[in-house]
Amino acid sequence: MENLETSERAAGQDLQAENERLQGRVRELEAELVEVQARANAAVAEWQERAYWLDRWHVDLNALMRKPGAAEFRAGLRAVRSVARFFKRLRRSLSRA
Amino acid sequence: MSGVSAVIPVKDGERYLDELLGALTREGVDEVLVIDSGSQDRSVEIAEAHSAVLLRIDPAEFSHGRTRNLGAERTSGELICFLTQDATPCPGWLAAYREAFTLDERAGVAYGPHLARPDTSPMIARELAEFFASFSPDGGPVVQRAGDPTFLSNVNACYLRACWEQVRFRDMPYSEDQAFGEDALAAGWSKVFCPAAAVLHAHDYPPVEFMRRYFDEYRGLRAAQGHIEPFALAQSAGHVRRSVGADRRWMREQGIGGAEAARWTARSTVHHAGRKVFSALGSRAESLPAPVRRSLSLESRADTGAAPAAAAAAASNGGGTPGGAGAPALPPTTHVQRKLSREVYEVAAHVWANGPAPLLRPAPGAWKRERLRLGMVIPPFNRGSGGHNTLLQIFTRLERRGHVCSIWLADYYGYRNAVWPAVLRREIREYFAPFEGPVYKGFERWQGADVAIATGWDTVHATLQLDACHARAYVVNDHEPEFFASSAEHSLSAETYTYEMHCIAASPWLRNLLVDRYGASAEAFQLGVDHDVYKPRPVERRRDTVIYYARYVTPRRGVPIGLMALAELKKRRPDVRIVLFGTDTVPDASFDYEHLGVLSPEQLSVLYSEATVGLCLSLTNFSLMPKEMLACGLPCVELSGISAESIFGADGGPLELAPLDSNLLADSMQRLLEDEGEWARKSREGIEFVASHTWDQATDEVEAGLRRALREREEQAGLAPHRSAG
Repeated sequence: MENLETSERAAGQDLQAENERLQGRVRELEAELVEVQARANAAVAEWQERAYWLDRWHVDLNALMRKPGAAEFRAGLRAVRSVARFFKRLRRSLSRA
Repeated sequence: MSGVSAVIPVKDGERYLDELLGALTREGVDEVLVIDSGSQDRSVEIAEAHSAVLLRIDPAEFSHGRTRNLGAERTSGELICFLTQDATPCPGWLAAYREAFTLDERAGVAYGPHLARPDTSPMIARELAEFFASFSPDGGPVVQRAGDPTFLSNVNACYLRACWEQVRFRDMPYSEDQAFGEDALAAGWSKVFCPAAAVLHAHDYPPVEFMRRYFDEYRGLRAAQGHIEPFALAQSAGHVRRSVGADRRWMREQGIGGAEAARWTARSTVHHAGRKVFSALGSRAESLPAPVRRSLSLESRADTGAAPAAAAAAASNGGGTPGGAGAPALPPTTHVQRKLSREVYEVAAHVWANGPAPLLRPAPGAWKRERLRLGMVIPPFNRGSGGHNTLLQIFTRLERRGHVCSIWLADYYGYRNAVWPAVLRREIREYFAPFEGPVYKGFERWQGADVAIATGWDTVHATLQLDACHARAYVVNDHEPEFFASSAEHSLSAETYTYEMHCIAASPWLRNLLVDRYGASAEAFQLGVDHDVYKPRPVERRRDTVIYYARYVTPRRGVPIGLMALAELKKRRPDVRIVLFGTDTVPDASFDYEHLGVLSPEQLSVLYSEATVGLCLSLTNFSLMPKEMLACGLPCVELSGISAESIFGADGGPLELAPLDSNLLADSMQRLLEDEGEWARKSREGIEFVASHTWDQATDEVEAGLRRALREREEQAGLAPHRSAG
């Protein structure tokens, strides 16, 4: 009889310990969720701060770059830029010489 | 499947009729009905030579919908094929239609492609080929159901009699096939596109006739489907350029080059430009004078597309329907195109149908957690909105305390459709408070929250649909049903207090009202004052000036009563200077006054520091403005018996309270103007009283309310002991 009570008490203590462990884990996970959402919010807010003028002028750059000719325009721009850089480097190296 | 009938409406169709009827014989059609509406050529003779059943009708009786219904009624086949007089079935046409009706048990109608004849112009040939290829990328039959394209063409179509009997063609002069396609799919039938059921067909007209035909077609489309062809110069020019380019590519593929290609390029440019213009005109035909409509129409019709049906309806109303003799005819109906993607308060209907989204099972002790995830749902705003200022003052302070905050705009009316989220966020920061978190429009990116916070009646139903929340709370700034006369808005706003959201009310009066009238769980917070702005300014205090917040556009401000009180005061004290502010509209009054319009907080603070008496009335919840006046040392007159006593006590404390009576309100103002001792006492007590009314204190109270909302959830779930009533 005494053994039975002892084992029931032990089982109860085990359950309580498990319960506390699980509650602790829930708290940990909740804290992680808060942290993750805080970071996500900060990232979105930062993006919104940066995108203000795009949003203000209703410019969707992804949609714009999907338009026919956009990729070619960008490639042309890069080509012009690389030529300009080449001449800049050339001028710098000539002035050093 | 037994019996196939073919119905061919004809008028002067001798050019292809013989070829067409020969093809029908070859395909094995059982019954051919030719409906002739006054041919002057050999059409009748050809039909008789092919032993087709001939039905002659008066040309005036012809209508695309009505005449085809007549044809279907006069035939008996289980399948009814409709062809135009210039559409010649290709070999395998009927077998393809027979097969189509075995592909789906709800298949009610099938249609096939129109192939160009050898002499068809390149732009028509290309369009036909590309258009029909788009329905079947792999070249096989395609079953189309509700939600798929509704296109259907009686140039070449085959109907299951049961489907036709249920749906029938609308009695319309044009586009009856498009309307049937839409009606059949809506009625639960499917339609089948059969690439193998092809006909040779092309409408090649001279350029001007083409344009007039497009005018007719798009006028019919407007009547059938409400379609309005968009027209903008730059886009249309781009469309013409792309179409001509496509035609040129097509010509190259077909081996057309040199002078012929150049000639067709010119024709193509005229064709596409004319089509763009005439289709736009056709779909706006009702705006054109009847003679213009007649001259633009290939069929010389002056109606707007819907008129004949309406006229028929009118005729039947007045012409012998049972009980209709002598009754006045109804005017023609006007087709109104759909403008909204949803009804304004559809979100409420969704809640009625499905109930609020289920809340997450609360985590034990979450209400005590230092940092909560808070999602606040706000209605659209303008600069100067007092309610939004209150919300943002508190929410930014919650954010500074470490809570993870986001703002979500519920815009039932689409007021801010043209404003993108980053702009909304900037406006919030500029107009109200430096909120650091993200701002969203709509709820597509909703990510859950510990507490979802509704902030006005027109945010509640949206908030109720948000899932992944532990609790919902409702920050109530005012008793909003009182903003509306008996109306949908009045009823909907009253209903918002019944959804068992924990309410955090902006005064004890409002809290008591929510508890007593709606049985809501509620607590109160006190509106805070920004003491950095609202404080006595170093300006000379005048002894003759009454200022009045005369916001006429806000009925709860009781402006007519305030103006009567000021008129009475002016009669008694003509020397009093009266200044009205708070609205750009200058109200008419029976006395002279000065007007200041809408002022910034800094300007208001100077005005309050300079004036002698403030008058600010609220017929509902107490507002922030009297507190701000008091903070600047300006005694203020308000209405008694409504909500002010719940904040300032029964005698009003530093506030001068008067009943809703213009004479008594004038008495109060006069007393403050003439009794300097009383004025000085009220001024001093006012500053002292509101000193403790800060936004930090308001934030404490709202935060406690949000935690209470979470705790209530835990109590309901049996995870936290219920608090005792004491």
